[in-house]
Amino acid sequence: MPIDQREPLLRLRGISKNFPGVRALDGVSFTLAAGEVVALVGENGAGKSTLIKILGGIHQPDAGQTFLDGHPVAIPSARVALNLGIHIIHQELNLADNLNIAENIFLGKQPSRGPRWFQLTHQAELHRRAAELLERLGLNDSTHRLVRYLSLGQRQLVEIAKALSTQARIVVFDEPTSSLSAPEAQRLMRLIEQLRAGGVGVLYISHRLDEVAQLADRVVVLRDGQLAGELTKDEIDTRRIVSLMVGRQLLPQPAKRARAAGTVALKVSNLCYRGAPEPVSFEIGQGEIVGFAGLVGAGRTRLARALFGIGPSQSGSIEIGGRTVRIRGPRDAIAAGLFLVPEDRKAQGLFLQASLAVNISVAALPGLGRCGLLNRRAESALAGRQIDSLGIRAASANQKVAQLSGGNQQKTVLARWLALRPRVLILDEPTRGIDVGAKGDIYALLSQLADQGVGVMMISSDLAEVVAVSDRVIVMRDRRLTGELANGQITQEAIMHLAIGST
Amino acid sequence: MPAPEHSAVRPPRTAGSLNEVTIQVFVMLALLVVLVAVTGLMDRNFFQPISLRSVSRDVAILGLLALGQAVVIIGGGIDLSSGSLVSFFGVLVMVLLGKDCDCSLATTMCVVVVLAILVGLAHGLLICRLALQPFLVTLCSLLIFRGLSRVLSGDSTLLFDAGEHPLLAALGGGTLGGLPIPLYILAAAMIPLGFFLHFTVSGRYLFALGNSLEAARFSGIRVTALRVFSYVVCAVLAALAALLEAGSVGSVTPSTAGIAYEMYAITAAVLGGCALGGGQGSLIGVVAGAAILRLLRSTVIFSNLSVYWTFTVTGLVLLAAVIADALVKRYRESR
Repeated sequence: MPIDQREPLLRLRGISKNFPGVRALDGVSFTLAAGEVVALVGENGAGKSTLIKILGGIHQPDAGQTFLDGHPVAIPSARVALNLGIHIIHQELNLADNLNIAENIFLGKQPSRGPRWFQLTHQAELHRRAAELLERLGLNDSTHRLVRYLSLGQRQLVEIAKALSTQARIVVFDEPTSSLSAPEAQRLMRLIEQLRAGGVGVLYISHRLDEVAQLADRVVVLRDGQLAGELTKDEIDTRRIVSLMVGRQLLPQPAKRARAAGTVALKVSNLCYRGAPEPVSFEIGQGEIVGFAGLVGAGRTRLARALFGIGPSQSGSIEIGGRTVRIRGPRDAIAAGLFLVPEDRKAQGLFLQASLAVNISVAALPGLGRCGLLNRRAESALAGRQIDSLGIRAASANQKVAQLSGGNQQKTVLARWLALRPRVLILDEPTRGIDVGAKGDIYALLSQLADQGVGVMMISSDLAEVVAVSDRVIVMRDRRLTGELANGQITQEAIMHLAIGST
Repeated sequence: MPAPEHSAVRPPRTAGSLNEVTIQVFVMLALLVVLVAVTGLMDRNFFQPISLRSVSRDVAILGLLALGQAVVIIGGGIDLSSGSLVSFFGVLVMVLLGKDCDCSLATTMCVVVVLAILVGLAHGLLICRLALQPFLVTLCSLLIFRGLSRVLSGDSTLLFDAGEHPLLAALGGGTLGGLPIPLYILAAAMIPLGFFLHFTVSGRYLFALGNSLEAARFSGIRVTALRVFSYVVCAVLAALAALLEAGSVGSVTPSTAGIAYEMYAITAAVLGGCALGGGQGSLIGVVAGAAILRLLRSTVIFSNLSVYWTFTVTGLVLLAAVIADALVKRYRESR
């Protein structure tokens, strides 16, 4: 295929993409040359995934153009992307567990024989070609082995073999090393260098900035769906990357109040939860908002769930308002006044097909009526009060929650817990996917709760939000508490450095 | 640009709009009246007391099964075992009352109820503790109890002597004030169940967990206890239905007794407004659904069609109901 020397392999120009209530990408342009490794970095939610999905034909951009070898192309489906030579290796690998290595590599394009109307898999040819690819990758395994029995690193190699089998010209790695052991990660680095030497354009997405520095020829930084900057090989340096990732963002700054350090609302000592490499200890004071920052997968959600009594057994002690409590399930947590606003609002927070009133009153019902009976009058009064005081916009209290906007849905979950007088409120990504107006309302509400003496634990991947809202920030990495920042120390740069582990 | 907050919420179309379940219940009650009228017009004999009594007795027994099924379906599950349980408990009643055991009716009923509770507990605990699928667990029970019933009886039809056990015969076949006694028993089951579902916190929680098991767990609802309870209710009502059926027929044929009753019960529940996904339903609707199913059979018979058309007609009516429901939902969502 003749390649125009002046045109890069891939050029994106002005790519934009909107989702309801969110501008995921806003006029992003960059290029990728053959034989080049470009690292794509950015905070959670900066638009990296959306960009990859557009390249892979899963999403369609609202505006902008994609050029391959200087020719404009449309990528309406994943199939077209593959035909164009764009191969994406997703973080959660797309392999069929129940098939063997060879079948996975050639899934959908197995060598076959027989007449057109009755094609049989050419088994010998299939395994010969698969074995060839495995040898190139240095994976010593039978091509007959079921993928189910492979380690994550080996599965990744199978994915790469898939890419090689289609003669991919562009390979996109989405956080490939996040679940790999160190030697596996090193081997992957060498393979990527091989791909580069073979003239493949590699787009590499990672949070591990040391890897990025080692591997990339160029770094492209996204922030809030926009191109925040580009660094060439000799400009790459973790500090510069972090400052581009974080930027200076305009945020509605809630007025910070000087809060007297009250008594302790939540004291966690030596808590062990599933997947934690070491016990965790921390405190949240009454009237204090503590932000929990970290990358996705740093263990924040698991910690929150362990505190709420969801998840396998734990050791260590939890004190709420000075009293030691044993939390075996959410009922114990609720009885002690510790509530969780879960991360997955739709699956875990809401009864989507039920009415607003039912969703608000569900946890308060036992306290409203006598002898386990429903008290419908008290229930609708409670729902009405909460709808007014949180400013939930709905046609009526009988409206299905599924029909509300994200912001109003989140307020509904909050309304449920606020009806019960919380001592400690844990919020997991409380403003994800909701619009600016509702975000402001929720910040104001958190402030108000803190003023009433509630201890607030806010897990958020939005650094600007963590900085703006928190009185104190605890940072987690690899399921450990890696640092704590207070008052003047709370900056996005400081948090990012602790979250990534660079110094 | 983020949309302004209020734009996502539509203004109310109708003041105090009825919810979908209520509408469906009214539609089913209307269909019931139409079926009665049509069948009666085709053949006046339908209105003979003896015919009405036989129909209403069947409705009561099917209604009990459908109530149990509805409770399970509202909680997000399904119970395929009820038909086989009707056969199994029917045989058990015959054996216990028969010459070899010679138990009293009171003892027999106690044994049956206790066993039914154990069956329900087993279903519920397997489904909740081992996280097995309700469909599979109760499918296994469907096979197990049909087989046990045939083993226990030597696969022969068992009879009981109505003279020796007049109370059982009366329970299943007798009348009180002109109405078959099973109808009173159906009412006696509906009242506490309806009270539980619609007036207690636990009943509300059953709907909630049928709506979303995850969200129920995150709200501190006793998920396991309620789900287990629903399977126990279903098994006990199946045992009660078996007792009435045995009493009214006077005999139990293990290979055919209660055959496909679980399907009738599920059909009645769906016709009555239960969403198979859980979290929705009304007991009045379910009983109306059971009545419609039984009436369709009469309609077919009195219209001089072969009785073999019954299944086909029933299937077509259910299909029509499901399609209508889907179209209504689509229409509502498109507005």
